[in-house]
Amino acid sequence: MTRRPTHILGFYGTQLDAGLRPDRWERWRPTVSLFQHDDLQVDRLDLLVPPRWEKRAEGLIADIHQLSPDTVVVAHPFLAPDPWDFEDVYAELDDLVQRLDFRPDDVDHYVHLTTGTHVAQICLFLLCESRQIPGRLIQTGPATRGPGPTWSIVDLELSRYDRLAARFKARREAAQGVLRSGIPTLNPGFAALVERLERVATASRAPILLQGPTGSGKTRLARRIHDLKRSGRLASGNLVELNCATLRGDQAMSALFGHVRGAFTGAAADRAGLLRAADKGVLFLDEIGELGLDEQAMLLRALEDKRFLPVGADKEVSSDFQLVAGTHRDLHASVAEGRFREDLLARIDLWTFHLPGLAARKEDVAPNLDWELERISEELGRRVRMNREARDRYLGWATGPDATWRGSFRDLHASVVRMATLADGGRIDRAIVDDELVRLTPHAGPDRAQRVLGARAASLDRFDRVQLDDVLAVCAAARTLSEAGRTLFAASRAERTSVNDADRLRKYLARFDLSFDDTRAARA
Amino acid sequence: MITLDGSAGEGGGQILRTALALSAVTNTPVRVEQIRAGRARPGLMRQHLRAVESAAAVCGADVVGAELSSTTLEFRPGPVEHGDWKIDIGSAGSTTLVLQTLVPILLHAAAPSSLVLSGGTHNPAAPPVPFLDAVYAPLLGRMGATLDLELERPGFYPAGGGRLHARLTPGRLEPLELLSRGGDVTLSFEAIVSGISASIANRELFVLARELGTDRGAGRIMEVKDPRGPGNAVWARLDFPNGAEVVSAVGEKGVRAEVVARGVVNEVRALLAHDVPVGEHTADQLLLLCALAGGGRYRTVAPSLHTTTNADVIRRFLPVDIRFVDDGPTWVVEVGAQG
Repeated sequence: MTRRPTHILGFYGTQLDAGLRPDRWERWRPTVSLFQHDDLQVDRLDLLVPPRWEKRAEGLIADIHQLSPDTVVVAHPFLAPDPWDFEDVYAELDDLVQRLDFRPDDVDHYVHLTTGTHVAQICLFLLCESRQIPGRLIQTGPATRGPGPTWSIVDLELSRYDRLAARFKARREAAQGVLRSGIPTLNPGFAALVERLERVATASRAPILLQGPTGSGKTRLARRIHDLKRSGRLASGNLVELNCATLRGDQAMSALFGHVRGAFTGAAADRAGLLRAADKGVLFLDEIGELGLDEQAMLLRALEDKRFLPVGADKEVSSDFQLVAGTHRDLHASVAEGRFREDLLARIDLWTFHLPGLAARKEDVAPNLDWELERISEELGRRVRMNREARDRYLGWATGPDATWRGSFRDLHASVVRMATLADGGRIDRAIVDDELVRLTPHAGPDRAQRVLGARAASLDRFDRVQLDDVLAVCAAARTLSEAGRTLFAASRAERTSVNDADRLRKYLARFDLSFDDTRAARA
Repeated sequence: MITLDGSAGEGGGQILRTALALSAVTNTPVRVEQIRAGRARPGLMRQHLRAVESAAAVCGADVVGAELSSTTLEFRPGPVEHGDWKIDIGSAGSTTLVLQTLVPILLHAAAPSSLVLSGGTHNPAAPPVPFLDAVYAPLLGRMGATLDLELERPGFYPAGGGRLHARLTPGRLEPLELLSRGGDVTLSFEAIVSGISASIANRELFVLARELGTDRGAGRIMEVKDPRGPGNAVWARLDFPNGAEVVSAVGEKGVRAEVVARGVVNEVRALLAHDVPVGEHTADQLLLLCALAGGGRYRTVAPSLHTTTNADVIRRFLPVDIRFVDDGPTWVVEVGAQG
């Protein structure tokens, strides 16, 4: 006979296995039931018997012998002082396992898990899982609807279970599809773009240019690139982010390339600069099109030679960084206008990714809404939810023609922040969404011109009305007439063609019989 | 080597048992494939393994594939050996099915054999010991061999623990002709209880007596002394001039005694409806014995799938013609030498 023997190790169940009266056969006794199966033949049972149960265990062994005369039953005293103490039980089992003869090459070893204290079951599980016991777990059960008691193998390899495997697969796919790499998208085009971007980021250290409207997720992608490079050990340094539109004059040079002490007035100490801070890491320069021409030249040199001269220094320093540049502009047009260096563009244009804004990816509103809700929940430290009705209403509008999403994801983010802030107890309901939609809809209510001018607004030409509307918006946001004037005439101010912005604004408003104070009515 | 499809016809353990017996008797290696392929748990189960192991023991066979759930088995028999055989079935498995596998083999040994089988003796879907005692053994006797049975202790599911002694004296089997009962039928009933109340047996016998129109005196109750576990069986014995038949049922937990007895009543009535000396289960066993004897004729009920499957296996091993002749409400099975 070539059959592989089957050995089972298990506890005498002081509750379930007990019984010496004739009616014991009417009950399900787990250890006895191991020998009542037509499809299970047990050649040896190692029975662990707690103290004071020896006599009753003998009765059990006699019953097993009657059921299965060929089975060798070996009783082992199980002397753990406290059968509910993890350490006691584990130590006792471990000793026993060392003594027992496991021959997994020749014998099918099983561990019967249905009897024993819960602590004992946990210990047996651990011993099996760590392969201290080279066997599989077997569990028994009473007859339910079927003709007799049941037995089954508990396989610890979770992927062997069809339904679990399907569940894991679904979870994986969800992670890849909806929350692909932390970038929520259901848009196949965008998903493909992200995938290409990830491939480039893991394969190359060349500069990457992200081109797309404001709020289209450039910063998020830059962070993703850094994560990928970190996890792939392609970068060990930090991610350094800078919006070039915030840089002005001397500060720009110094912020980027650093300076030495005394390089200029106020340079009281050495400054490393962002390029050096990004050494061996990723430097994300957003709105690179706003960078001054001098800085562009310096950046080009830093990219080509990995060396540059900090302000006021007479010695070059080095920094090896991966550049990710962002822009909402068409940089080729900027080159034509003389505002961007052609050689720098050629250097950073090797990998250009055009990111569509949210308006072009409306299917991504839903996943991004969820993502934003998750994020705001984390920020606020409390769960923010949207009820079903509110969510349907919001998404219905957000994916419809009224939603322009001019600020793209930034608008969505702001919108969620507003709603979350107003949400009582973290629940965003229909009323909050309705209010928010009024805010988001460009012409949902009376515009500023109408609010300030009342019925007179109707007599304005569309041409004038649009202009006035924008002026009123600036006034509403400004604290003083002068501040509003500086904002409105910033360009001419830079060219010094206008010396009195406030006066210019006052005269403009007067054409509509308005004073600066009147414009306060345009505030929301 | 003969190769059989174990999933053909009845597709269960019967093909295997008949194949084992005939392989040993004809000294022909056999390979059974697709064993119990259509069943919920395909392949060899414990009880089948025991049949294989026992058959291999009495004819010194080489066996490949004798493992639980194995769906292919190769059995290469050696010479049949008489002797004293002790066979533990275990798990309350049927001792009688194994005995019916071994008897045809040991018939071809040079000298008598004795067997001690332990396990279940009154199992559902297996001939109970009273059947072997009252029907099978006398038929063998008429054909030329002697089978003596002694039930030392009955065994029931789930506790098992029964023990059956058998002594077989081989002889050259002669063809048998059994076409009518030859006269009136005398009915008697018996019920056995082990470890449970005798009132169960009483209720069963009451139903048999009432429904089959005999007086209460025709029933007998056996209470097992020193029971090894709970159990119950009931059977009706039909005695007639040309032989006997036994119709039985095994009590089950959760099935009322009246329902158990009702099954016996229906089967007895079906047998009594026509002059049929051989019941369905007997027809099955008799087919193999007649084939080994080289001939025989008997009247029975419509052949079951078990019987026709058995016939198909027999034809593969032995040069016999087996015909099932539709004879009105009854059937005649004819076994004859080929040609």
